[in-house]
Amino acid sequence: MSHSRPVPRRISLAALVLVLGMAACVQKAPPELVQAVETLDRELTAAQGAEFAPEEYAKFVEHWTAVRGRMLAEPDVIRLPWEPNRLVADLIKVQEQGVLAVSTATQRREAERQQAEARLTQLEERLQTFTGNLDTMGGRVVLGQRPVETELLAKQARSFFEQGQFVRSQRASQQAAKLLDRQIERLGAELGRYADERRVTAWRNMVAQTVTWSYRHHSAAIVVSKADRRLFVYRNGKAVASYPVSLGYNGILEKRYQGDGATPEGQYRIVRKRDRGDTKFHRALLLDYPNNQDRRRFLQARAAGTLPPNASIGGQIEIHGGENRALSETLGCVQLENRQIDVLFDLIEEGAPVTIVGALGLSNAISLALAELEQTEEG
Amino acid sequence: MKHWIMLGLAPLFLLTVACAKAPTDKLTAAEQAVNDARTAGAPAYLAEDFAKLESLVANAKKEIAEEEGKFAFLRDYEKAEQLLASAKADAAKVVIEAAKKKEEAKVAAVLAQQEAQASVKTTQALVAKAPVGKDRAAVEAIKADAEGLAASLAEVQAAMDAEDYLTAQTKAKAIQDKSQAVAKEIQGALAKVAGAKGKQGKTGK
Repeated sequence: MSHSRPVPRRISLAALVLVLGMAACVQKAPPELVQAVETLDRELTAAQGAEFAPEEYAKFVEHWTAVRGRMLAEPDVIRLPWEPNRLVADLIKVQEQGVLAVSTATQRREAERQQAEARLTQLEERLQTFTGNLDTMGGRVVLGQRPVETELLAKQARSFFEQGQFVRSQRASQQAAKLLDRQIERLGAELGRYADERRVTAWRNMVAQTVTWSYRHHSAAIVVSKADRRLFVYRNGKAVASYPVSLGYNGILEKRYQGDGATPEGQYRIVRKRDRGDTKFHRALLLDYPNNQDRRRFLQARAAGTLPPNASIGGQIEIHGGENRALSETLGCVQLENRQIDVLFDLIEEGAPVTIVGALGLSNAISLALAELEQTEEG
Repeated sequence: MKHWIMLGLAPLFLLTVACAKAPTDKLTAAEQAVNDARTAGAPAYLAEDFAKLESLVANAKKEIAEEEGKFAFLRDYEKAEQLLASAKADAAKVVIEAAKKKEEAKVAAVLAQQEAQASVKTTQALVAKAPVGKDRAAVEAIKADAEGLAASLAEVQAAMDAEDYLTAQTKAKAIQDKSQAVAKEIQGALAKVAGAKGKQGKTGK
């Protein structure tokens, strides 16, 4: 009996070695590696991987899904000791793909952020320049609702940017920039004459005629420059005084019809002096607007259908003061301080010429502001 | 002889039976689940997760196409099925989460819209009181701004109708901010004029 005992012991030993060997070769995914991949997955979501690194992200998702599926389906696959652990190898591959995707998405997202920020900064600077120049020109009313629409878009672009919505931010910035371009074009169309050499020369000739009249008649005459918002008094052909003035609320435009708020341009005469009690504006000098040229222009515009229905040419354009400047309403007149209209009232005679021009030279406030705006145009 | 024929046909029969079928039903189900996620607003409110879903389905389709290119008895759609199962399961979670986020965004947008509407209304009431004689150009500009703000409220509503609550909210917030600024401007002008004396006149037509 004694010779039969070592056999089962040998078998048991062999079985134990086999079991231990096999147990050591169960294919398991190291938890730290799985965790690392899961972290990458979350990082990719934060980095908007699908948007900024779609190809890399798709590869990562594909392989990670497959490996995860295998981990769930084959939790205890046994491999032979000399076989490599394929699950670990695949997880390492997924990890590498994840790292690449995160890095690519982060870089591209940062590039997008920088681009959105640059566009937004440029827009906000443009908007500031635009608003400043618009105020200088007095062209705010010309553009109606467009400036507020642009401002709202710029605010939206800022809001999107702060929320990390860089693509939307850029889109809003682009829309605002286009709107700005269109407004600059509109201003160019409406106010381009301030930068038009022929037009400015014509205005200068009108002024020269008025100055000459003053010289020849040894009398006072008035010149108003709308771009300068200034009234000049000439006596014996020499400038003796100048005063700042207010114009109609749309004063820089050429007057076309009653109620447009524009101040007319042309050569006029004072047809009546309205003293205290005769006017609500302290003292006033009534002009002969509309003159023949105004009437002709009005009829042409009406024939061309460029006037609102039932538009009339208007009248009662004056140079006046005001009991209270803050409470007076000017729809196209030229308004002075009371003490200045007092000086003017005593100096000027009925029949004296009043020439209202857009500007006295090409380098006027409006043409300069327009040029600055046109430089900021994107389109 | 008969026996030998049977023996020869058996492997062929087994191979035919063993041929895997493309998981078209599962694909349809997964696509439907992705569509549900889309309808729930996932592309806007859970973009990453939605992209992941689309990626899963796209990869599954690619996998199916690759397998279909192989000999019938070599086809194995297990990987594609795995991808489709993941897509379907994830889509269900995405639908719930996206719907939640969308609802949150909607609530925020509705609130912002109401605040913007109230703010514009206040501004419009102030515009009606604006001192017409005080720098008429400024008053006309303020009026244009108020009209522009009121018109922009329609854009908020359009974004709400399109269920783009993020755009609706940012637009409404911008309107409210600007509206408050305009109101402040008018209040400043009203305060200045309040102390002013004299009559209001009108010339220049």
